Amino acid sequence: MAQANELKKQYKKRTLAQETWRRLVKNPGAMLGLGFLGLLIMAAALSPFIFDYEVDVIGQNMSERLMAPGAAHWFGTDEYGRDLFARVIYGARYSLIIGVGSVLLGLVVGTILGSQAGFHGGVIDSIIMRGIDIFYSIPNIMTAVVIVSLLGPSTVNLMIALAFSCASSFARIVRASVMTIRDQEYVESSYAMGLPTWKIIVKHILPNCLSPIIVQITLLIGTTIISASSLSFLGIGVPAPAPEWGALLSAGRGHIRDASYMCIIPGLAIMFTVLALNLLGDGLRDALDPKMKK
Amino acid sequence: MANKTILEVQNLTKFFNTPGGQLHAVDGVSFKIEEGKTLGIVGESGCGKSTTGRTILKLLEPTGGKILFDGQDITGYSRKQMRPLRQEMQMVFQDPFSSLDPRQTVMQLISEPIIEHKLLKSKAEIEARTLELMETVGLAERYVNTYPHELDGGRRQRIGIARALAVRPKLIVCDEPVSALDVSIQAQILNLLKKLQKDLGLTYIFITHDLSVVKYFSDDIAVMYLGQMVEKAPSDILFQNPIHPYTKALLSAIPLPIVGGDKPKRQLIKGEITSPVNLPDECRFMKRCDCVQECCKNGNPQLREVEPNHFVACSCV
Amino acid sequence: MAEDLVLDIKNLVVHYETEDADVHAVNGIDISIGKKRTLGLVGETGAGKTTTALSILNLVPNPPGVIKEGEIFLEGKDVLKMSSADLEKMRGNDVAMIFQDPMTALNPVMTVGDQIGESIAIHQNLSKKEAFEKAKEMLKMVGIAESRAYDYPHQFSGGMKQRVVIAIALACSPQLLIADEPTTALDVTIQAQVLELMKMLIQEQEMSMLLITHDLGVVAEVCEDVAVMYAGRIVEKGTADDVFNHMRHPYTEGLFDSLPNLKQRGEELVPIKGLMPDPSDLPPGCAFAPRCPYATEECSKAVPQLMPVDGSETHFVACSAYNHPEFRLRGNKDGK
Repeated sequence: MAQANELKKQYKKRTLAQETWRRLVKNPGAMLGLGFLGLLIMAAALSPFIFDYEVDVIGQNMSERLMAPGAAHWFGTDEYGRDLFARVIYGARYSLIIGVGSVLLGLVVGTILGSQAGFHGGVIDSIIMRGIDIFYSIPNIMTAVVIVSLLGPSTVNLMIALAFSCASSFARIVRASVMTIRDQEYVESSYAMGLPTWKIIVKHILPNCLSPIIVQITLLIGTTIISASSLSFLGIGVPAPAPEWGALLSAGRGHIRDASYMCIIPGLAIMFTVLALNLLGDGLRDALDPKMKK
Repeated sequence: MANKTILEVQNLTKFFNTPGGQLHAVDGVSFKIEEGKTLGIVGESGCGKSTTGRTILKLLEPTGGKILFDGQDITGYSRKQMRPLRQEMQMVFQDPFSSLDPRQTVMQLISEPIIEHKLLKSKAEIEARTLELMETVGLAERYVNTYPHELDGGRRQRIGIARALAVRPKLIVCDEPVSALDVSIQAQILNLLKKLQKDLGLTYIFITHDLSVVKYFSDDIAVMYLGQMVEKAPSDILFQNPIHPYTKALLSAIPLPIVGGDKPKRQLIKGEITSPVNLPDECRFMKRCDCVQECCKNGNPQLREVEPNHFVACSCV
Repeated sequence: MAEDLVLDIKNLVVHYETEDADVHAVNGIDISIGKKRTLGLVGETGAGKTTTALSILNLVPNPPGVIKEGEIFLEGKDVLKMSSADLEKMRGNDVAMIFQDPMTALNPVMTVGDQIGESIAIHQNLSKKEAFEKAKEMLKMVGIAESRAYDYPHQFSGGMKQRVVIAIALACSPQLLIADEPTTALDVTIQAQVLELMKMLIQEQEMSMLLITHDLGVVAEVCEDVAVMYAGRIVEKGTADDVFNHMRHPYTEGLFDSLPNLKQRGEELVPIKGLMPDPSDLPPGCAFAPRCPYATEECSKAVPQLMPVDGSETHFVACSAYNHPEFRLRGNKDGK
């Protein structure tokens, strides 16, 4: 039916995603955050082509140790003479990969648990949610410490450890949205249509929970980057000599009096990244809010 | 064909457990509908009319009684067993703003049941059928890719009707399909439903609080109060000769758009509908009724045939 | 004549200016309500009824709402020129408003007695205790037992809540009561009770009322005067008898023809074709022309003004078809 296809093109309207984007563009904070993240992602992606990992990032050069920021080394050098600029940019890879990876892992697990709890209610809901409550009452860092200690320190294990806390917060959000959407008439209408339950969840309920989930993703990536840095700072995160931001901070701790830039620069990197993510998250929340729609 | 019973409901009950006790939302409702006819179920909020409609479609599990659709006892059917039957019985919902998934386009919404029941296979056929359905319900082609929130209530209700029609059902339960719409749009939708009934031989259960709408629309009318039918009769008879005091009050309460002339005097009834929890064994309307007699306290009256086809549940008649 | 008017709105224009569009909600309306008169403002969703009501109290949400033009005289004083202190004094004291949804109009954590007493205490300078006593009297007046003054809103049913809302509105004996769809959320038998109550109280307290509704039946029940609103303009106004029995505007006729309860069973309803125009993109000339079965080319040229019908003092219609003296509506009961 070429005719029908033509119709489709002819009456193409803005999709909801396009609408959201249109509103997001009007929010200067969100655009600033998005711009910064864009640069950071680009830098992280290009860093292996700019820097030689073995030489520039982890290669030691004792003759140039503890040089203050200047023309030769924009961010200065650390106690082993490694260029801090290269390490911070390269470190963005770790932070972003760990942040995004653990959040996505948590998202999958949390969504499955949360949607089951919210949709079925009753006993299933109680079991899942009480489990999550117990988990929530233990500090995140503690859980992560235990998991990393059990599995051994590595980037992947760190992601798994952090994914746990992400999963519980996703489960709660998804459950709450599913519970409101479950009682909407269009869900009942899908039953009357004869759709099987799993299809209703996947096709009609989850897509309508998307807004809070998207917002939560951006905000949680920020939190997770901080947690990952904290764990590295404590020495149980990404093993040395990888230039993870938390590890950089930790290394700078000893030189906080004579070479404070070693702490300040990675600290600022973490701060700006998290700030950018939060600005974007807030912007998305407003842009996705149906009340803002006309 | 004219006399074939398509749906029979026998002594249907639906109770909900609430903290205050058992709520008798539907309490012993029985009726039959012949193919191609319309049964209007009328009552105020909380009388159980919507619950009745949803229980018939097995969107709610009945507590007791029997539902016979086309001679088939579907009372105990599971969701899975009901699935093929969803092609035969459909529903049009009250609220055109919450009964459509906001993330789907008109095309997706209307084609969903066709795809789900595998009525057509090729994409082209499905699209052609969707456009045909849009034409049937009077939706212009240019809306195929719009989202429900971009459309007004009347058009959204047309989408709901198209979705129900997509599977070529025999029976459609219309739950207050026009009460959320403006008068001029209401008339458009009512005319559409009526035309569809004539063209496609549909059977309707028309649930509403608005007696003027059912009068225009239904062959038979059942009036419900606190989970029970208090009066049931062919439309003309019910409007000419209402017998149950509640029906009379309901009829008289409609504000008529007439100024001056022979405007009938209104009969007000006192009090408000209560919730059907822990009901004593007496007439449920007694507390609001003006003509209570001793017999009203002795048991809950059942429907009796007082004249041919006219059933009333009142001990005083 | 003019000094008898409780409310006199002159050429009111209200726009909602949003990012995407300039919504022309009210486009130059003139209405007035005399002492002890009840005016029904009829129209469909989006006709600008509620905006008109909010303008009277100067409560149009700003932004995005802007009162562009016009004067609203409340007992001779222009509401739009009042200071905010005067406005606060006026609201509740001279004018009270009843909203559509009684469920959300009451504060759930205050007893109804306190809620009624609150406005009495503010406007009449009474002590809290005296105000509460007065509140009990008000409850009795709207048919609720005095003892229930100590109850919270959730302990009341919808109809009872609307009675409480009425009691709050009438507590300070306002000159004008604005009721915005007061019975739409209620069941028919309860609606009948509440309408009866309002009718009685208005007579007793010698108030004027502006009743906003989409339901012609309710108007016939309660109102002496009627104004029909369409796309932000008054298209016809007059006494209830003028509008119901001698209607002149095609839209008014369309509204009546759409009602199922006047028809016999099986007869086809005659709906108004099409939809209300988008108020941010009104057609030129008469806004009803695209839906009007009588429309001619002339209709989209100029916006018709309200003109008296056959020299009548009360009945006005805004329709350019009457420029031709022989024009008649098809269903005109007069036969004139």
